[in-house]
Amino acid sequence: MSALLEARGLSAGYGQAHVLHGVDLTIEPGQVVVVLGANGAGKTTLMRSLAGLLPYDGELRVDGETVGAVRPDQMVARGVSLVPQGRGTLTALSVTDNLRTGAVGRRDASGVQEDIDRWFTTFPRLAERRHQVAGTLSGGEQQMLAIARALMSRPRLLLCDEISLGLAPVIVQGLFETIRGINEEMGTALLLVEQNAALAMGIASYVYLLEVGRVVQSGAAESFAQSDSIRRVYLGY
Amino acid sequence: MTTVQSPTPTPTPERPARPAARSGPRVVVRGSGAHRAAQAVVLVLLAAVVIWGGSLDPFGQGQLTRAAIFALAIMGLNFTTGYVGLLSVGHSAFLGLGAYTTGILVVNYNQTAISTIPWAMLVCFLVGLLVGIPALRIRGLYLAMVTLALGVAFPEVVARLDGLTGGAEGMTIRRTLLRPPDWSGFTLGEKDAWLYWLTIVLLVVTFVVVRNVISSRYGLAMHAVRQDEVAASASGINVAAIKLVSFGVSGAITGLAGSLFAMYIGSLFAEGSFTVLAGITLLIGLVLGGERTLAGPIIGGLAVVLIPYYTSGIGQGQASAVLFAVVLIAVIFLAPEGVAGGVARLARRWVVVVDKRPESIGRGR
Amino acid sequence: MDIFLTRLISGMTAGSVYAMIALALVVVFRSSATINFAQGEFALFTTYVSWWLTQHGWNIWLTLVPALGLGFVMCAVAERFLIRPVRKRDETAVLIVALALFTGLNGLAGWIWGSDDKVYPRLVPIGDDSFLALGGARLYYDSIFVVLSLVLVVGALSLVLNKTGLGLQMRAVATNPESASLCGIKVGRIFMISWGLAGVIGSLAAAILVPVLPPGQLGLPGMFHMLIFGTVAALLGGLDSVKGAVVGGLSLGVGLAMINGYGSFFGGSISLTVALVVIVVVLGLKPNGLFGSRRLERV
Ligand SMILES: Nc1ncnc2c1ncn2[C@@H]1O[C@H](COP(=O)(O)OP(=O)(O)O)[C@@H](O)[C@H]1O
Ligand SMILES: [Mg+2]
Repeated sequence: MSALLEARGLSAGYGQAHVLHGVDLTIEPGQVVVVLGANGAGKTTLMRSLAGLLPYDGELRVDGETVGAVRPDQMVARGVSLVPQGRGTLTALSVTDNLRTGAVGRRDASGVQEDIDRWFTTFPRLAERRHQVAGTLSGGEQQMLAIARALMSRPRLLLCDEISLGLAPVIVQGLFETIRGINEEMGTALLLVEQNAALAMGIASYVYLLEVGRVVQSGAAESFAQSDSIRRVYLGY
Repeated sequence: MTTVQSPTPTPTPERPARPAARSGPRVVVRGSGAHRAAQAVVLVLLAAVVIWGGSLDPFGQGQLTRAAIFALAIMGLNFTTGYVGLLSVGHSAFLGLGAYTTGILVVNYNQTAISTIPWAMLVCFLVGLLVGIPALRIRGLYLAMVTLALGVAFPEVVARLDGLTGGAEGMTIRRTLLRPPDWSGFTLGEKDAWLYWLTIVLLVVTFVVVRNVISSRYGLAMHAVRQDEVAASASGINVAAIKLVSFGVSGAITGLAGSLFAMYIGSLFAEGSFTVLAGITLLIGLVLGGERTLAGPIIGGLAVVLIPYYTSGIGQGQASAVLFAVVLIAVIFLAPEGVAGGVARLARRWVVVVDKRPESIGRGR
Repeated sequence: MDIFLTRLISGMTAGSVYAMIALALVVVFRSSATINFAQGEFALFTTYVSWWLTQHGWNIWLTLVPALGLGFVMCAVAERFLIRPVRKRDETAVLIVALALFTGLNGLAGWIWGSDDKVYPRLVPIGDDSFLALGGARLYYDSIFVVLSLVLVVGALSLVLNKTGLGLQMRAVATNPESASLCGIKVGRIFMISWGLAGVIGSLAAAILVPVLPPGQLGLPGMFHMLIFGTVAALLGGLDSVKGAVVGGLSLGVGLAMINGYGSFFGGSISLTVALVVIVVVLGLKPNGLFGSRRLERV
């Protein structure tokens, strides 16, 4: 059986600024993978390329099928959904409209309504603010909304770019429990980019370490956590 | 701007840092004998064209004068829209302001035509500074709107000030008032030839001045402001001053063209030659010829005068507008740097000119 | 008082037209973040088509179907094949293409139909007594018709934007095209449809305004000033706001009617100069207009 998503020799950048230099990465269905790396290592660039926001060189395969040049909506249609860094909620739209927008590719109106209700149950704070304009939500609420919105397309792979950024630890803890639950219940694979490495490695089974646009180390999460250098630099103990 | 990235795989092949590194084109060192010779040939050719123009029949010569005047006007536009990136749709107002300054001084104040040129430039320089003020805060689309409004309002203001300008009825500068100065050696009957040579001389002088400014430190600063204002101001460039002064200079050059235009056309009226459509024409000429090139405005001036003339017989005189649109879109898609830039790019396949000292930087583009 | 009412009515009529054109500009701006300077000329062209069909015996109302359809197709095609390819380059390139379309469409209309003015029939024929007397002022039926058309257009547009799936996508794209694409929206398709819709609104506005506003005939230069006023109205209201376009259009219409009416001792009209002042003041003091939400420059 082929991997859910597979990148081979992925390179990307912004005009003359080359950021990624031949990244290899594999995600199996249902797997939780984390990408660690210092600021500016190219994590966001990687996520944006995988989501179809940035043109890339190299090969990208979904379900073993090469995708070539691809737009974000086409990646969503293939089951890959991104929670971008900085959340990317639709600030002028209401919470409910944000969720409905997340499901534009779907044709099953009743299923969409079920999912909206479901995420309102998961995130009661969103339910309370369902008619509020997203731009007026707190940071934590916006992040919940961004995750719920990305899940509205029923992705098989959820890409999360630093969902803990700028949030209080207790909220981050809650978010991670939620996405772990989603992974376990729905079998949604997760690709997490995190500064908070300890938290991410707690739920990940596989880890990539990115340095200046290259994968310098990768392996199963348990063996990774043993490595002294990793512990010192990324786990802080 | 937030745009959705194109799905085309990028990394554009990096251009070699120094064209000389390529094996194909022939390399000519700037200032070498071969380079000098080539420059001399071009100069001789240009001089031949100018002299040929001087011997043309009055109508043909008039068309060339007109083209040279528009080339000057576009040169002014290039100064701010091209080099500093401040888009102006309403430069027709400067053309008109220069023309009316000359007209009013000649008709109402008995000045000789040629003596009004500095005044026309001064007035346009000051108004240019004024128009530059909004440009300190806004750019792109919004600046286009301000300048559009300027271009649209100008004829209305002229019509309003009818005591001075003759308003909608217009003002006529009698031919005798446009007598060439005695020292020129031209007689009143040779007024058109005199204007032709006057325009050519002023065009050449302006060309040389612009060329020197662009390759000076001031030119580098203009370039930096266009590329990235924040970075420019971080490196000690006074962005506000650059924008204001370049708008003023731009206005002055286009005003010079306006002054000559008044002498050329001899009659001025509000809804005549200075509506915003003229401003759009100038912009079209600039883009066609090539923004940020020295030759671009000259090509643009020829285009905006000659294309309408040669197509006036087709499609009830409307063909030129359609042709302009088609050519303009073709240029935008195929040669975004305009005809001058496109030709230069093609030429670089065969010949490249390099500086003698490799470390010298910031040559005008 | 009568004269005040008369001016108010003529201001509302003109203002409704400005508002409709502003709406077309707003619909484009909400998707592409640019002003379609050729919007007026697209409308001019379709109005010529409508006129040409009436010359072949068509009922004026019936000609609106192909005219508005053509407005949709022309604008959508222009967006897809002329505007979108240069969007990534810079704002100037987009403006230049729009100006090229402006010049080209005007010339094409003149080429096909000649540059003499045409008598374009009124959608609502009026006679000498087709008015309501309002305390001495006359409220002609076609003024009522113009205002009603605006109400209808605004109603339909609000319905589309707020009650349909397409509208949801349009609102999402207006908020943030990138986030919208991450939701699975085909952003390019929304751009095209928005331009098409703007084309329909513009064409309708032109068909309504030509017989009503001076000079009352269909001519090549006719739409340009309308575009300026529409632009000012849209800017005043905030460029991305439907409500703003309406308020901006009506205030501009009424304001100009009053200034030109009571300010006639200046001699002649100064509408465009007023428009210039409004543009500069709005951009200087309140760049987002009265109801706009978009920042002056999108990051
Ligand atoms: N829009 C951009 N244009 C140019 N360079 C960029 C852009 N975004 C990011 N970069 C550069 O790319 C590199 C990687 O950035 P990013 O992928 O955001 O890193 P990370 O997410 O790991 O912090 C950085 O050096 C950054 O400066
Ligand atoms: Mg990042």
